[in-house]
Amino acid sequence: MSGQLIINGIVNASLIAPPAIAFSLLFGILRFPNFAIGAYVTVGAFIAYALNVGAGMPMWIAGLGAMAGTAVVVWLSDVLVFKPMRGHTPVTLLVVSIALALIIEHIIRLFYGADVRGFDLPLERPIKFAGLRITGEQIDIIVMTIVIGIAIHLLLQYTRIGKAMRATADNETLAEVRGINTSYVIAFTWFICGALFGLTGVFAGLDLVIEPLVGWYLTIPIFAAAILGGIGSPYGAMLGALLVGLAEELTVLVLPSSYKIGVGFVIIAVLLLIRPHGLLGQPEIKK
Amino acid sequence: MAEDLLEAENVCVGYGRGDIVHGVDVSVSAGRIATIIGPNGAGKSTMIKTIAGVLTRREGSIRIDGREIGGKPASEIARCGVAYVPQEANVFRQLTVTENLQMGSWIEPKEFDARYEKVCALFPILKERAKVRAGNLSGGQRQMVAFGMALMVEPKVLLLDEPSAGLSPAMVEQMFDIIKQVNKTGIAVLMVEQNAMQALKISDHGYVMAAGQVAMSAPASELLDSSEVSELYLGTRQ
Repeated sequence: MSGQLIINGIVNASLIAPPAIAFSLLFGILRFPNFAIGAYVTVGAFIAYALNVGAGMPMWIAGLGAMAGTAVVVWLSDVLVFKPMRGHTPVTLLVVSIALALIIEHIIRLFYGADVRGFDLPLERPIKFAGLRITGEQIDIIVMTIVIGIAIHLLLQYTRIGKAMRATADNETLAEVRGINTSYVIAFTWFICGALFGLTGVFAGLDLVIEPLVGWYLTIPIFAAAILGGIGSPYGAMLGALLVGLAEELTVLVLPSSYKIGVGFVIIAVLLLIRPHGLLGQPEIKK
Repeated sequence: MAEDLLEAENVCVGYGRGDIVHGVDVSVSAGRIATIIGPNGAGKSTMIKTIAGVLTRREGSIRIDGREIGGKPASEIARCGVAYVPQEANVFRQLTVTENLQMGSWIEPKEFDARYEKVCALFPILKERAKVRAGNLSGGQRQMVAFGMALMVEPKVLLLDEPSAGLSPAMVEQMFDIIKQVNKTGIAVLMVEQNAMQALKISDHGYVMAAGQVAMSAPASELLDSSEVSELYLGTRQ
């Protein structure tokens, strides 16, 4: 029983990890919690749905298309909404991002209604091993999340643009003074994060269902993972996702499963009380 | 007349509505050091930030090597050979010391190895603490990272905002020695300093700024001898 819960938890964590990394990267540069991330995930799910079911493309092409399409949508949300508002307080931007999330959600409803949908995939039996079940799609999600985690690590640590991303997140003025074109770096960060949100939409469509609120349900666990790991720290976000993913599933042992959705909130609340900079984050040192 | 490497003419700049700097002229030629002194709020840091492009001038002309840079973004001004060291937040705290130095040679990454050896010869501590995050260093060591990063640019013009701030007296001396040493290689240095006396001693020229204007511009030795300057700004009486 609990072995199955751990498997479910790992799948759950793999779903949360890429958007938590993306949320963390965006927060590092923009310094406000972007509540539109759930809507971005939904956009990814519906682009993949349109390509897979609407246009009849194979799932992997639909997935890549969703990543590219969501990257563009997410980047446009910066160009049209957040960039003109840069310099406003984080609270203002937070409210703006909630408004943006509602607008995106309703645009999707306009085209697709509120129906629950799924991808057009051949039915497969779950793989059974020692009484545990896992589907082929869930294995794909876990493997791809691990690959993404490693890729993001390599990007940030060893590539020129990755170092520029870290430098810009750390001290934008100084990065600019040293010759880094920070507006280019910020646009690139939005693109990368957009692709991660798009991919999450595909994962959500595979593991959950496709509907206009699918991303919204993931928002709180994503926030919890990013805050738990230490906001602004992509490695922390990976660790946070694993812990939140497992915690959500394992509470089923002691509480009815309808309380699962509250786990993220509890983690956020407790953490903000005892360790506001998260597990791997650096506390702000004031001189 | 030889063209000055850095020439700022009639620069006006401010935050929000009002101007903080009203029509300031500053110039430095290659291999010379100029220092701006003056009371707090005189607009010294604002002036140096404007030359670096962190703030944008409202009026006036700023030229490097005869090329107009006024109004350009900071990243482009950096590419004209200007290295600015802010007074605060002058290192990337989350990056290691070596990564900070890499950011210094961002524009010319191929030059990193050669410049790294030169800079570490000036500040051996940067090599010892290569893998430490800059945010975990002491204030003095951070100042060396900041200065080392600027030298990694191999700039034509070095802009320093309070290079001695937060340093122990012995390190202040060392810092000024290094500025002098670097300057001898032909770099034009413009700095803002509270430590006016020591700064003027290594400078060729001095500006006294007050209320957003240049109140006095004279060779550094003259300012050091002037009784008015020493009473008002150097804290010494004759």
